[in-house]
Amino acid sequence: MIELVNLQKRFGDLAAVDGIDLAVPRGEFLAVLGPNAAGKTTTIRMIAGLIRPTAGSVAVAGFDVQTDPLEARRRMAYVPDFPFLYDKLTPAEFLRFTGELFDLSPERIDSASSGLIERFSLGPYLNKPIEGLSHGTRQRVAIVSALLHDPEVFVIDEPMVGLDPFHARVVKDVLKERSAAGMTVFLSTHQLSVAEEMADRIAIMHRGRIVAIGSREELREKSGAAGALEESFLALTREEAG
Amino acid sequence: MNRSQSNRGTSRHVLVLLTRISLLQASRRLRAVLHQSRLLTALIVGFIMGYVVLSFWIFHKGLTFVEQFPGLGPLLTERMIFLLFAFLFVLLLLSSLIISYTNFFRNRETAFLLTLPIAKVQVFRWKSIESTLLASWAFLFLVAPLLAAYGLTRGVPWHFYAVTVVFLSLFIVLPSLAGSWIAVGLGRFMDRRVFQVCILAAAGVFLAGAVFWWRAETVTDEMLETRVLEVLDRLLVKTQFANFSFLPSYWLSSGIQNWAEGAFTGAVFFCMVLLSHSLFFGYLSFTRMGDPFYEALSTVQSRGSVLGRWTWFQAWQQRRASARRMRGPLELVFGLCFWLRRDTRAFLVKDVRIFWRDTSQWGQTVVLFGLLGVYILNLRHFSHQLSNPFWINLVSFLNLGACSLNLATLTTRFVYPQFSLEGKRLWIVGMAPLGLRRMVLTKLGLASCASLVVTLGLITLSCGMLHVATPRLAYFALAVVIMTFTLNGLAVGLGVLYPNFKEDNPSRIVSGFGGTFCLVMSFLYIVASVTLLALGAPWSLGGGGGSLQTISGIAGFLLLSLLLGLFPMILGFRRLAQFEI
Repeated sequence: MIELVNLQKRFGDLAAVDGIDLAVPRGEFLAVLGPNAAGKTTTIRMIAGLIRPTAGSVAVAGFDVQTDPLEARRRMAYVPDFPFLYDKLTPAEFLRFTGELFDLSPERIDSASSGLIERFSLGPYLNKPIEGLSHGTRQRVAIVSALLHDPEVFVIDEPMVGLDPFHARVVKDVLKERSAAGMTVFLSTHQLSVAEEMADRIAIMHRGRIVAIGSREELREKSGAAGALEESFLALTREEAG
Repeated sequence: MNRSQSNRGTSRHVLVLLTRISLLQASRRLRAVLHQSRLLTALIVGFIMGYVVLSFWIFHKGLTFVEQFPGLGPLLTERMIFLLFAFLFVLLLLSSLIISYTNFFRNRETAFLLTLPIAKVQVFRWKSIESTLLASWAFLFLVAPLLAAYGLTRGVPWHFYAVTVVFLSLFIVLPSLAGSWIAVGLGRFMDRRVFQVCILAAAGVFLAGAVFWWRAETVTDEMLETRVLEVLDRLLVKTQFANFSFLPSYWLSSGIQNWAEGAFTGAVFFCMVLLSHSLFFGYLSFTRMGDPFYEALSTVQSRGSVLGRWTWFQAWQQRRASARRMRGPLELVFGLCFWLRRDTRAFLVKDVRIFWRDTSQWGQTVVLFGLLGVYILNLRHFSHQLSNPFWINLVSFLNLGACSLNLATLTTRFVYPQFSLEGKRLWIVGMAPLGLRRMVLTKLGLASCASLVVTLGLITLSCGMLHVATPRLAYFALAVVIMTFTLNGLAVGLGVLYPNFKEDNPSRIVSGFGGTFCLVMSFLYIVASVTLLALGAPWSLGGGGGSLQTISGIAGFLLLSLLLGLFPMILGFRRLAQFEI
């Protein structure tokens, strides 16, 4: 579903992403971990088509993001760490707007959004201006709007920022359910517990490269560190840093 | 339905959706403004209406006066119109360039739209339309009274006004498209550092060119009396560029003028020239700019310095990196201000650094100063030609007004948004021992000192060009110092009273209610102050200093300045005391 081939991105002299090869199959939940400036967000921005790779390619659902961007984006949803929402609209208006941009009929928008609105407890906020909502509520609106068109691929950067424990749980549940139903999830986070709990595979990025990828056990094996994911993470990134 | 038909349908669908959302947001913003305060809203509406009526009256008087020159009136009017639209074309181009750059590359909506199933070219189209509207509304606001006055002077039929709207609509497309293309080019090929170098070089070349082209030439009284035609000929030669037939402003001016004179065939011809160019370049822009736009956006978001390819620059960067722990030039300069506390100095360094690094901010200042440079250099003409004390007095007070208006533009554009720009980072200062109150005072001090350099420089230079006597220069300098503190106090105070922490873009902060109010109040203050200072000038009554008029004029000015500078600051501090970080 997501295929990165020799993906590279240079910012002047700095190689932010340095030759990543990665395939995430349909229905897989991949969590990407890494220290600051490891290249996670840059990779995500290339998958979302916001920046052009210096070399290599990204394909989403079989469509190259650079050469066939519309087909790729129709099948994808992207939620950044600080999502953009129109401040003067209400969540209801914003959801209708994004639904229409994906060419969904009003009936489909209603049916797709009603369940999500209930699960994400957005009912009381639906007709209030977005500018007055808290960061967590805005994040929930962004996630619901991204799920409306039932994407095949869901790319999300730091989904739990600003969410209370209850709604963080809801996000985890919904993403897990969708993933089980066939949606591919590419999640970037600093929260090791989120990756540990949710991901089928975990990729650890450092200095623009994937230094390890696999299940929790495979990472432990590769790092040679016993115990929690934190130990493996520290061992893998420290080793690279040295 | 084939794929291209489907795409065209989708394109219209997307534009309709985005337009609907924008109109909805705009109507809500307007409603929010109207709900803020009826009195303040009425003041702003009154100011706008006042501007329209006053400018119409001035244009009408001026055009009527010029038209009465025997045998030369129509020729001079024609050249003035051509010249005005040529300058407005350049200003519109610059305005479009700056707005397009911000709208394409610094706008979060652009990035959001590019993650949705919307073609790159559609995003470019939408952002171009938005930039065109943002860049040209002020142009339309400026020329509407002029064209109304022109029509009235010429006694044109009613359809002239309708046709003028068509001409203007076609005209604004061209500089807007050019601005958006240049913005894409800048984004693609220039980073901040290269842009900084280029904009300073361009400003220097422009100023040098202006000095050379519009250098003052001695016009003696004898020439004015006996060789009017020669003087006029010189004037027409100097302004000949406005009649360059490949300038869109020439097509606009010619079309409007032809229609006013009843030469409809000629007017239609120029309308067709404008239409064909707008359609041709519009078509190119709306169908071919998607890829260059995306390329530029991707480059802007992922660039290290272009200069970084050169080894000398890499070496310099490395030296800078190793020296970063040491004090930079700004720290050294502010370190000389030993009477300031360390935290205050740190805050000042931060503010100056951020301003310097935000090229789009001071890039606009360079444009403003370029225009001011031309203005000041042209003052020499007045000193050569004015011998009557009344006119020298009038011009020197108008000059004070011009310098203060420039100051008001600076304070509204750059000082007013300073508090809001602290935005989400306000807690850093709010929680530090520096505190919000001292932060605001520091901003006021920095802004006032920086403005003083500008205004004192301007007033000294312009009075020097006008050969104003030293005592009068001292009077103007003292007045402008007081006005500088007042206008800065007003801008800082209103900035605290009407903060906007949601916006990172200063021009958007300024375009809100508080910014507009600040501009209106500044302009009213300047008009009142210049009038009071003119009344209170010791030489205004022919040396009758000490008279009641002098005392009341100066006292009125001082009182007004004190009130307007202090009152918003007091209210601002009250607001700060209840501020929740």
